[in-house]
Amino acid sequence: MGVIRALLLVGLAAAAARGPAIRDLAIARSGVQILISFQLVGGFDRELSARLDSGLPTGFVYDLELLRDRKRWSDALLERSRIEVVAMYNAVTGEYLVNTKQDGRLLSSRTVRERRELEAAMTRLQAQPVFTVDRPSPEERYLVRARVELAPGEVLGFIPVRRTSSWVESNKVRIRG
Amino acid sequence: MGLKSHFERRRRDTRWVVAMLALLLGLLTFFYYLVQRGRDLPTTLVTNQVLLFVLRNANALLILVILFVLVRNLLKLWLERRNRALGARFKTKLVATYVGLALVPVLALFVYASELLQGSIDRWFSGSLRGVLEQSFAIAQELQQEIAERDSRDAGRLARQVQPQDLADPRAREALARRLAAWRQELDADLVALYDETEFVHAVLDPSSGLEDLPEVGRSFLLEAAESGRAQRVVVPTGGRGRLILSGAASERPTGQRRVVVAVGTLLDPATAERTARLIEAYQGYRQLEVQKGQFKASYLLMFVLVTLVILLASSWLGLFLARRLMAPIQALAEGTRKISSGDLDHRIEVDADDEMAGVVDSFNAMTEELARNRALIENKQRELLDANRRLDGERARLSAILANLAAGVIALDGEARVVAANGAAQRMLRQREEELVGRRLAEAWADPERARLGALLGGAPGAGARAPVQVSLVLGGERRTFEAKVTELPADGGQPAGRILVLEDLTELIRAQKLAAWTEAARRIAHEIKNPLTPIRLSAERLRARSREHEGAPPALPALVEEAVEIIVREVGTMQGLVDEFSRYARMTGPQLAATPIDRLVQEVLALYREVKPGVEVVAGGGGAGEAWVDAEQIRRVLINLIDNAVEATAAPGRIEVSTGRRADTITLAVADSGRGVAPEDRDKLFLPFFSRKGRGTGMGLAIVHRIVSEHAGTIRVGDNAPRGTVFTVELPAGGRAGA
Repeated sequence: MGVIRALLLVGLAAAAARGPAIRDLAIARSGVQILISFQLVGGFDRELSARLDSGLPTGFVYDLELLRDRKRWSDALLERSRIEVVAMYNAVTGEYLVNTKQDGRLLSSRTVRERRELEAAMTRLQAQPVFTVDRPSPEERYLVRARVELAPGEVLGFIPVRRTSSWVESNKVRIRG
Repeated sequence: MGLKSHFERRRRDTRWVVAMLALLLGLLTFFYYLVQRGRDLPTTLVTNQVLLFVLRNANALLILVILFVLVRNLLKLWLERRNRALGARFKTKLVATYVGLALVPVLALFVYASELLQGSIDRWFSGSLRGVLEQSFAIAQELQQEIAERDSRDAGRLARQVQPQDLADPRAREALARRLAAWRQELDADLVALYDETEFVHAVLDPSSGLEDLPEVGRSFLLEAAESGRAQRVVVPTGGRGRLILSGAASERPTGQRRVVVAVGTLLDPATAERTARLIEAYQGYRQLEVQKGQFKASYLLMFVLVTLVILLASSWLGLFLARRLMAPIQALAEGTRKISSGDLDHRIEVDADDEMAGVVDSFNAMTEELARNRALIENKQRELLDANRRLDGERARLSAILANLAAGVIALDGEARVVAANGAAQRMLRQREEELVGRRLAEAWADPERARLGALLGGAPGAGARAPVQVSLVLGGERRTFEAKVTELPADGGQPAGRILVLEDLTELIRAQKLAAWTEAARRIAHEIKNPLTPIRLSAERLRARSREHEGAPPALPALVEEAVEIIVREVGTMQGLVDEFSRYARMTGPQLAATPIDRLVQEVLALYREVKPGVEVVAGGGGAGEAWVDAEQIRRVLINLIDNAVEATAAPGRIEVSTGRRADTITLAVADSGRGVAPEDRDKLFLPFFSRKGRGTGMGLAIVHRIVSEHAGTIRVGDNAPRGTVFTVELPAGGRAGA
C-alpha cells in the first residue's frame, strides 16, 4: 500500500514537473507600485506551437494576487489582476502580433518575427508594474502569488476543463509610502 | 366535468405536441441551415474558439435536456406498468415499437454517418490535400522569398557601392540621388531607398509601379538590417494595392563609421498578391482545421448524437401520443365500466372520436341509459314490494297477536292436511307443543285415538265455506275436555288444494261452571226445602221420647223401641242438618278476601296439622319459593286441607304425600301428590261436582268447594296421574290476585 502511494506521489510530482510552471517570480517596489517579474517554463509545447503557426489566437492568462504577509489571517488578499498575453501569426508577412492586456486593458502590442522573441514576449514579464499600494503599512510585508491558465482542455472530447498551474509565491517586500 | 376537463387537456396536449413537433422541425432545419451555411463562413469564424465552445456546450445541454425528457417519459411508462395502470402494457408496446423502429435505422445511420464524418475529416488532412496545400504555400512563400533574396542581394551590392561615399556631403548626396535612380532603372525595382543606418537619406520610386508614396519601412527593419546585415519585410503599401516585398542590406561597418542601409522593394501586383495571400491563407486555414480536428469531430459527433436523440425522443413521444390517443376511449370505457359496476349509472362517456370507437361508446352510453331506466323501474317495484311486505308483516303480526291472544284454538291446515299454523290456545287445549303440530301431517300429529277423533272432523270432501260446529269430548292428559270444533274450508288458490281452518272452543270450564251453578242452585233449594222440616221432625221425635219415658203403662219393649227409634231419628236428622248446613254454606260461600299471603308459610302451617296423621303415611313439603300471593288465606288453607284430606284418605301405608309449591312468572303453583290408588279417568270430569264421592261417606262437597275457591281466585285446578302411582292435584293461582270468577 505504501509503495503504491509512493509511486503515485512520484508520478504526480513528475507530472507536475512536466507541466507549465512559473519560475523566478520576484517583486520589487517602485514607490507605491509593485513591479513583477517572472518566467513561464514548459508552456511552449508542440501543441501550442502548432496552434500558433496555424494562425489561431493563442496565449496565456496569468493570475496575479497581491497579498499581505499574514499567516494566521484569512484576509491576506489585497488585490487581484489578470494579465493576458495573446499571439497571432500572420503567415503572409511572417510576423507574430503579440498583445498584452491587464484586466482587459491593452498594455502593449508588438510584432515579432523570431520564435525566440515570441516565446520571450509570451512567457516573460520583466518589472511590470501591476499593483499599486496607495496606503502601504510600513509594518507589513507584501508578496505576490501567480499562476498561469492555459487553453482549456477537454474531458470525453466535449467537456471543457480549466487547466492552470499551481500557485507560486514571490519574495516579500516592505513598502514605505 | 372531470371527463370534460380530461378531453380538454387532451386537446391541449394535441396542440402542444403539434407545436413541439413544429419546433423540432424548425430546429432541425436551422441546424441544417447552419451546417450548410458553415461552409461559406470564413475559416476564422468557423474555427473561432468561442463558437466551438458555445456549439459544444449547447449540444451537451440539449443532449441533457433530451435525455431528461426521454428518461422521464420512459420512467413514467415504467411506473404506469408497475402500478398496473390501464393501458400501460399497450403504451409500452407501442412506444417500444416506435422506438425500436426508429432506433435501428437511426443508430445505423448514426454509426455510418459518424464513420463517414470521421473519414471525411481525416481525408481533409490526408497526404494529398496536405501536399497540395503545402506546395501551394511553399510556392507562394518561395515567390516572395525569391524576390526578397534577389532584392536583398541587389541591396547589398548597392550598399557596398554607397559605403565609401560621404553622405554628409551635399554634392555627394546629389550624385547618389542620380545614381540611385540609375540603379533602380537597372534593377527594375519599384523602390530603392538609402539610409544612414536609421536615418533616411534618399529614395527613388518607379512612377509606373502604382506606389503612391514611400512606404514606412519601420525603425525595427532598419535596425535589424544595420545590426544583422539584412532584413526583409512584406508590407502593404499606402493605398492598399498589392504587396511590397522589402529587402534591406547594410554595408560592412568601417571603423568609426555608421552603416549604410539600402532597401530595395518590389511591389507584387494586386492580382499576384491576392493569389499568394489566398494560397497562404488557405494553408493557414488548413492548419487551423488540423489543429482543431478533434474539436470538429467532437462537435459533429455531438450534433449527430443530438439528432439521434431528437429522433428517438420524437419517436417515443409519438408512440406515447398515439398510445394515449388510442387508449383514451378504451380507458374511458374501462372507467365507465368500473363506475357502472360500482353503481353510478348516471356516468356517461364523452369521447371526441369519429371512428369505430365512437360507435362502441354510443352503444355503451345507450346500454348505461337502459340500465339506469331499468334500475329505476326495479327500484320503484322494489319499494312497492317492500311497502307491501311491510304491510303484510304488519298484518301478519297483528294476526299473530290476535291468534296468540285468542281464547279459541286455531289450527290451519294446507291442502295436504299438513298443519301450517297452530296458535298458543290450540297448543294448550290439545296439550301439544308447536313442534309436535306445525309442519306435520294431521295423521302424524294426531295419531292417538282421542285426537284422531278430532282429526276425523277435518276429513270429508273439500268444499268451500264453514261447516256446522261440532261438540267433541276428548280425554287429554288424563282429563276429559269438551271442545266445540268448527271447520272452515279455505278457497282453492291457483290450482292448489284448499286448506282448512279448525277453530276449537274449550267448553270444559263453561260446562263445569254451568254444572256447578246448577248444583249450587240445587244445594240452595235442597238446603232450603230440607232444613225447614228437620227441626219439627227432631222436636217431634224428642217429644215422643219424652212422652214415652213419662208413660208407665206402655208395654215393656216399647220404651226401648221408642228410645232407639228416636235416637236414630235424632241422629239422622242431625246428619241431615249437617248436610244441609254444608249445602247451605256451599251455596252461600262468599267471595275471597284477598290479602298478601306467604304461600310457603301457609303450606307449612297446614302441613303441621298432618304430622303423623296416619301411620305409615308420610306427609312432606316439596319445592318452595312461591313467595307471596294475593289470596284469601283461609280459603286456600281450606283448599289444601280438603286436598290433603282426600290424599290421606286415598293413601294406604306405606305411602307418601308431597305438597309442593312453586312460582312461574305471575302464577304460583300448589301441587298435592299422593301415592294412593289414583283416580279412574272416567271419574276425573266428575271429581269437582258436588255430591260426587267414591269414599262411601262424606258429603262429596270437598273437591267441589276446592274447585269453587280456586275458580273464584281466577285459578285452575287439574288432576293427573302421579308417577309411579297415585294422583296429583295441581292448583295454579295468579300471584297478583284476580278474584272474581
